[in-house]
Amino acid sequence: MARKLVTGNFAAGHALALAGEANRRARGCAGGAYPITPQTEIIEYLRRFEFSKGRIVPVESEHSAMAVCMGASLGGARTFTASSSNGLAYMAENVFAAGFYRLPIVMVAVNRTLGPPWNIWVDQGDSLALRDAAWLQLYTDSHQDLVDTILLAFRVAEDPRVMLPTMVAMDGFVTSHTQMVVDLPEQEQVDAFLSTGCDVPHRLNVNRPTTVGGLTWPKETEHHRREIQDAMENVPAVLEEAINEFEGVFGRRPDGAIAAEHTEDAETVLVACNTMARTLRGVVAERRTAGTKIGMIKSKLFRPFPRQAFRDALSGVKRVGVLDRNHSPGSGGIFWPEIATSLSDQSDTIVQDYLVGLGGGDVTPEALDEIVEDLLQRECSGDPVWKEVAA
Amino acid sequence: MIEMTIYGRGGQGGVTLAKLIANAYFLEGKHVQAFGVYAAERSGAPLQAYVRIDDVEITNHNQIRTPDHVIVLDRTLTTPCVLTGHKPDGWVILNSPEPPDAFAELFPGRQVATIDATTIAVTNGLGTRTVPIVNTTMLGAVGRVLGLTLDDVTGALAEVNFGGGNITAATRAFETVRAERLAGAVAAPATPPKAGKIMGLLDDEVGGHPRIHTGDWTTRQPHRQQLAPPCNNGCPAGNDVRGFVEAMAKGDHNEALRILLETSPLPGVCGRVCPAPCMDACNRQEFDESINIRELERFAADEGHPHVAIRGVGEPHRWRDETVAVVGSGPAGLSAAYHLARLAYRVTLLERDSELGGVMRTGIPAYRLPRDVLDREIKFIVDHGIEVKTGTSVDQEELLRLTHSFSAVFVGTGLQHLRSVDLGNGSAEAGDKTVEQGLAFLDRIRVDPESLTGLHVIVIGGGNTAMDAARSARRLGAKVEVVYRRTREQMPAIREEIEEAVEEGIVLRELVSPVRLRHDGVGPLLTCVRMRLGEPDDSGRPRPEQETSEDAYFDMRCDRVLLALGQSSDLSILPEGSEVRNQESLLGLTGAPVFAGGDFAANDGTVTAAIGSGRSTAWHIHRTLSGEDLFPPPAEAVAGSDVLHTHVFSHAPRAESKTLSMKERRQSFTEVRSGLSAADNSVEAVAEAGRCFSCGVCTVCDRCMDYCPEGILLRSGGGYEVDFEYCKGCGICAAECPRGVIYMADL
Repeated sequence: MARKLVTGNFAAGHALALAGEANRRARGCAGGAYPITPQTEIIEYLRRFEFSKGRIVPVESEHSAMAVCMGASLGGARTFTASSSNGLAYMAENVFAAGFYRLPIVMVAVNRTLGPPWNIWVDQGDSLALRDAAWLQLYTDSHQDLVDTILLAFRVAEDPRVMLPTMVAMDGFVTSHTQMVVDLPEQEQVDAFLSTGCDVPHRLNVNRPTTVGGLTWPKETEHHRREIQDAMENVPAVLEEAINEFEGVFGRRPDGAIAAEHTEDAETVLVACNTMARTLRGVVAERRTAGTKIGMIKSKLFRPFPRQAFRDALSGVKRVGVLDRNHSPGSGGIFWPEIATSLSDQSDTIVQDYLVGLGGGDVTPEALDEIVEDLLQRECSGDPVWKEVAA
Repeated sequence: MIEMTIYGRGGQGGVTLAKLIANAYFLEGKHVQAFGVYAAERSGAPLQAYVRIDDVEITNHNQIRTPDHVIVLDRTLTTPCVLTGHKPDGWVILNSPEPPDAFAELFPGRQVATIDATTIAVTNGLGTRTVPIVNTTMLGAVGRVLGLTLDDVTGALAEVNFGGGNITAATRAFETVRAERLAGAVAAPATPPKAGKIMGLLDDEVGGHPRIHTGDWTTRQPHRQQLAPPCNNGCPAGNDVRGFVEAMAKGDHNEALRILLETSPLPGVCGRVCPAPCMDACNRQEFDESINIRELERFAADEGHPHVAIRGVGEPHRWRDETVAVVGSGPAGLSAAYHLARLAYRVTLLERDSELGGVMRTGIPAYRLPRDVLDREIKFIVDHGIEVKTGTSVDQEELLRLTHSFSAVFVGTGLQHLRSVDLGNGSAEAGDKTVEQGLAFLDRIRVDPESLTGLHVIVIGGGNTAMDAARSARRLGAKVEVVYRRTREQMPAIREEIEEAVEEGIVLRELVSPVRLRHDGVGPLLTCVRMRLGEPDDSGRPRPEQETSEDAYFDMRCDRVLLALGQSSDLSILPEGSEVRNQESLLGLTGAPVFAGGDFAANDGTVTAAIGSGRSTAWHIHRTLSGEDLFPPPAEAVAGSDVLHTHVFSHAPRAESKTLSMKERRQSFTEVRSGLSAADNSVEAVAEAGRCFSCGVCTVCDRCMDYCPEGILLRSGGGYEVDFEYCKGCGICAAECPRGVIYMADL
């Protein structure tokens, strides 16, 4: 394993490429690719990589990029791509198709604000807009988390108990373009971790002609949706298994569905995802040192939403503050109602939403501490709070 | 934790410097983080990059607001603003040729280090003075100041495969950086300016967008230039070729004709017989094929109406008092007379023959230049109120008389002296037509076309007269051979004429020179000698030399020999002691000034050059008589193909004139080429004109405006205006200007 100072995009490209290469003795790998800031360097990395068996196909749009992925995956290849922001929005029709076709495609989503007005900085609204597309969604907080989660994503997506596409998200620029030190895995390790190979059960086969996804009646469609729901419910257990195996191969343990810190005796807990969760760690640690019974949860798995994990971690907590770097107009933050629903049987727990860092606002420890202070003063929850941060 | 902020401009490598610094500490075993603030990363835009260094894992992901050290890459960013949040015990490291204490007033009490990174970088080939890439140089200075070793610095560079000038520059900076704590008390950091009101999308003003005066970032700006199109530059008549073609492209034949008539009164002639140096100069030939300018000129002349193009010709108007005599009505004389008449001089045109036109009438066969075209254009010229005296020979004595009855005299008598060769047949009887000058032959047969059926004609020469004589003889039924002492490549005749002659069955005998003509009882025999090409002569063409082998001499049977060996001026018209001078009147005369023009003054050998000479001589006469100078300012630089951006254009084949069938060509003097089709509203000619690149001249195509990513190019006065307050100097307008009108200039 090599420790390197690299950008998040480099790390993501490396992990995707090694995972693709690991399927060289099976049906190889493929993907369609179209560039968009801040994801472009991932595509460039993949196009430069010399795959033993497989190729990345440059196409004219994100919609076609996902179409190529679907074709490749139906052909049995290990399939992946990456996109961002309005690119994801344009890809959306085929994102849903890939989910409902149950193709184990892995896509890295580099979170960027949806325009207009045009903005290239981080905001999770782009990938969260695709939350109902029957994809798993995992949000990563660091370069190492990103690399490890991409490798886990292939294991979970391709597991016969799941067989669903998986999106791995990172913060635009704050992760994608920042140089951090990361343990980059070697090919042999990835080969060992993904040794089962990609096997799509409904892959197209000229010796057994079939139609995939033709017209169905309501009953069949409902059955299909129920199967997807069942598959989603298998994810936490499958993810846990994969993490255990990952630890065996790589010697470190990536975070699971959620990562809780100091929650055991906490009266107040903040929930955040991506890099904001890392900046929050320092703030919570300082408050702890000062004697506040405070903890935090890094929320990683968003689809399926790990309700039970939140219930367990937040049992008996008085105040929960949710930091949402995303916005559903007319509602509020998107993580907030998910967490509130998880805690529906804890009627005396306050679940307060904070919209913070939208459009890439620079989330400083000071701003987060002000949120903590606001939360500590609360006796009841209110409407989502728009927390202003520095320009 | 150590935190650093780097202030630089896009293109100087600030983000890479952050990575290099981080790498140097990473190799020391530290935890590091390096990142830039993105979005304004265009060249020249002010940007910040950040580095964090710690002994433990770094979890903060926000921008650095209280840096320990500040690094400034650009002189223009070296202001108190860089001290915002700076910790007084940290360093301020500047790219500057000044010593640190030069910044005592700006940064009192701070620890300041300076290095002339721009000079070091540029010396080592890293960027240019306008946009120096100073990051690797600054790394050396930063490393030294912060206590890294030179090995740490070069190791960081090696880690990212930076070598060569980068290593040298970083080492030089490491060794020469100057650092000290400045005198004075640490000043309070500057208060950042208060943010203005943020506008909403639905506000009256365009909402949401901060106004950033991005013009401050730039190191270069777009400017407009007008260049001379190569066709205009190459036209001996001085026509605005590009201008008339543009009018043609708009389907406006009369406007096209008007533009042509501004400079040349004979577009119908030029559109048929000009060798078209404009087409040789046309930039489009590098793309596919040159524009068919000659056919377009002919089309404008044939389809446009000169009296519509230029109104008021022949109507009564006020004449000047001065009078001008024009001697000779060839292209130079007609052109001079036309331009002088347009300038309101009373012109008398004197012609020896019974009809006007000179060599255009007597020397160019009708299958190239039909008489009605020539007559039509001459009539338009004469319609300007020119008095014509045909059948009037002017000799030396008459010329002197003219200088006493006119205010000025123009002599354009062309080339009256025909070169000959002694074939040893001096004893030929009068009326023997065996050997005849080609020009005399052409003049004779246009009046009295004699049948040459069954006769064998040899034409000696390789110019246009040789081709005209040969092709005319062919039409009269002869079997024709052209004997030329060099090869076809060196023939001075227009290429198409040679090609068409060969098509019509004329045999070219290259590298052959005639020696003598004799009769052997059966008929005439022309003895010739074979030639070979030697070293180039003064004209740049290979000098023909006689073969010395035994079989070098051979006989050719023939009935007629036509000589087309070239012509020269007959200067006997001029008084003793006078001298032809370019642009000035002749010397040695006592009366009114006498000017010479056309082939008589400078043997360029084309109708087009003679037209140009006639016009410029007319302007010289006008300047002498009135003091007014009509000559345009010196031409702009010529728009070469290197300034064009031809990705804009699509390939399209050149439209060609229809030609007469070969059978008709061999038998009749009907015009060979019938020009571009005028069918369907001249769609063919309009499309052909539309192929023009308009090299060096703006056509207001809007491409610069459409492609400007900032939307700060606006139409203005037939061109465009750039709002330099917002122009970042990206250069897209220049890169998208097809015609080389927009160029980028360094500030």
